[in-house]
Amino acid sequence: MNNNVGNTFFKIISAVIAFTCSLLLIAVLFFMLRESLPVWQMTRPLAFLSGTDWSPIYPPIQLGIGSMLASTLWVAFGALIIAIPLALACAIFLAEYAPQWLAQLLRPALTVLTGIPSVVYGFLGAAVLVKFFEIKFQVSSGESLFAASIVLAFMVLPYIVVNSESAIRAVPPEYKLSALAVGVSKPYVTMKVIVPLAKKGVLGSIALAFGRAAGETMAVLMIAGNVLRFPESWFSRGEPLSALIALEIGSAVPHSLHYQALFAVGLVLILVVTIINILINYLVNNNEMPRY
Amino acid sequence: MNRKLLLVLALISLLLMASLTGCSQLGTSTPNTTVPQTESSIKIGGSSTLSPIIAKCADNFTEEYKTWNKVDPSLPEEPIVIFVSTGGSGFGVKSTIDGTFDLGLVARNIKDEEKSELKDGKTFQIGSDVLTIAVNPKNPVATIKPDISREELKKIFGGEITTWKQLDPALPNKNIVVAVRDLGGGASEIFDNAVMKGTPISKDAQQIPSMGALAGKIMDNEMAIGYVSSGLVNQNPDKLIALTVDGIAPTLENIKSGKYDIGRPLLIITKSTPTAKQQAFIDYLMSDKGLTVVEDLGYIPAK
Repeated sequence: MNNNVGNTFFKIISAVIAFTCSLLLIAVLFFMLRESLPVWQMTRPLAFLSGTDWSPIYPPIQLGIGSMLASTLWVAFGALIIAIPLALACAIFLAEYAPQWLAQLLRPALTVLTGIPSVVYGFLGAAVLVKFFEIKFQVSSGESLFAASIVLAFMVLPYIVVNSESAIRAVPPEYKLSALAVGVSKPYVTMKVIVPLAKKGVLGSIALAFGRAAGETMAVLMIAGNVLRFPESWFSRGEPLSALIALEIGSAVPHSLHYQALFAVGLVLILVVTIINILINYLVNNNEMPRY
Repeated sequence: MNRKLLLVLALISLLLMASLTGCSQLGTSTPNTTVPQTESSIKIGGSSTLSPIIAKCADNFTEEYKTWNKVDPSLPEEPIVIFVSTGGSGFGVKSTIDGTFDLGLVARNIKDEEKSELKDGKTFQIGSDVLTIAVNPKNPVATIKPDISREELKKIFGGEITTWKQLDPALPNKNIVVAVRDLGGGASEIFDNAVMKGTPISKDAQQIPSMGALAGKIMDNEMAIGYVSSGLVNQNPDKLIALTVDGIAPTLENIKSGKYDIGRPLLIITKSTPTAKQQAFIDYLMSDKGLTVVEDLGYIPAK
């Protein structure tokens, strides 16, 4: 009887905690929406998203974040393009090939990467990468979305490696043993049996990495170049959404249109990350586990 | 078991409290960031251009008097404590309005929307700052073409002239790196009024989050040009070179006489009538002792 009471209490508490956390997300969305409401009433959402002129203070007032949205997507997807092959190779090595002593050495090194503050990454990127591009390619100024992607790739790398490795390790050993028993080589087993089975976890880790890359502020603020022109290529300069907010919120007059527009930008950033996470989840759930 | 139950109950009440306070905060329109007022200290903050000046003055002031009764016998015998922090002009105004700072530091004119929220307060101008057109000393423009016209500036910052060669055939055929403060910043507003006059800044201009970083960008990049506080140019004479504009150099005389006019006021604002202690410190800032610091750091003192 007593035990039952404890059980019920435990259930209630867990439910309340879980509910509070979800409530927090709703509260954030609600607050962002409320602060940015006048912007949505003034401009059509589509014009806001696709416009390429951003002039929130001086007339003619134009609110278009197309350039920044494109910069965010370039930077974040670019970071994933660089990070995913590296991270997957790293995860496969750690889970399948590395001797235990080496794995024990590499794993903490990777986790330390997550602990480096982003301003330090940004600083290194600005001091090393930007300078390198300036000297190597004889350009006037070395900032670019590409440089920001490289730095971001190293920031998200540990997230993909750690989560993918545990996904690969979670594949039941029977699969591996039976595959090996058929007589195929180890690379074949790894690439054709184990990695496909771990796909769900790997995609989950990529979703996590995308959120991190799209929301990262300090490093991209220091490396992406912060220009308002629409980024035509990966190698142009640009100003991702997060950098735009960080740059301008300090000087925006509270409750002015500029301020509200920045909240609208924040809302767009949350929604972009959420939508892409939902898409990746959809991808995960619609990919049936391969059967052997 | 009993003890566990107690723990569980405690947790629940904690959660309830947390969620309740959360709800009540959601209801209010401005975040509640007011710091409880401690009587004996003065909290100051805002413009990153002004805060080094005020910090220096606060140091001297504390050193000289130590307790308030020595400043003015009518004040209590308490140690002087003055906190100075930075964060930008906009932040200075915002925090003065919500009470985080007793005195706000602002390096631009107060906007009309802000004035209505500060109508009970006072504004003191401690000096002025000049925006010089600065380049890297390694850039040949410093010797070949040390004078630039307003029209040329407008074309460079507006994106019509994009290489140094277009400015003067003797200069290298390299892209001009235009460095500006972010479009909402104090300095960008001044530059817009004095030079651009409504012409939008080129979309290729790099926006830089603080005046210090902007100066750093020009010290670092040979092809860069930007508007930099005269104070920073005076503090780094080997690393930054100020061009003359329409033949007028940004010297103290030219600024005082009004010939060189790309400048901005350095203001100290309060939300309501300053207390006796705050007034005493403001009086010190506006006295010769305070204004000497303003001049020593390379800015133009009031009067």
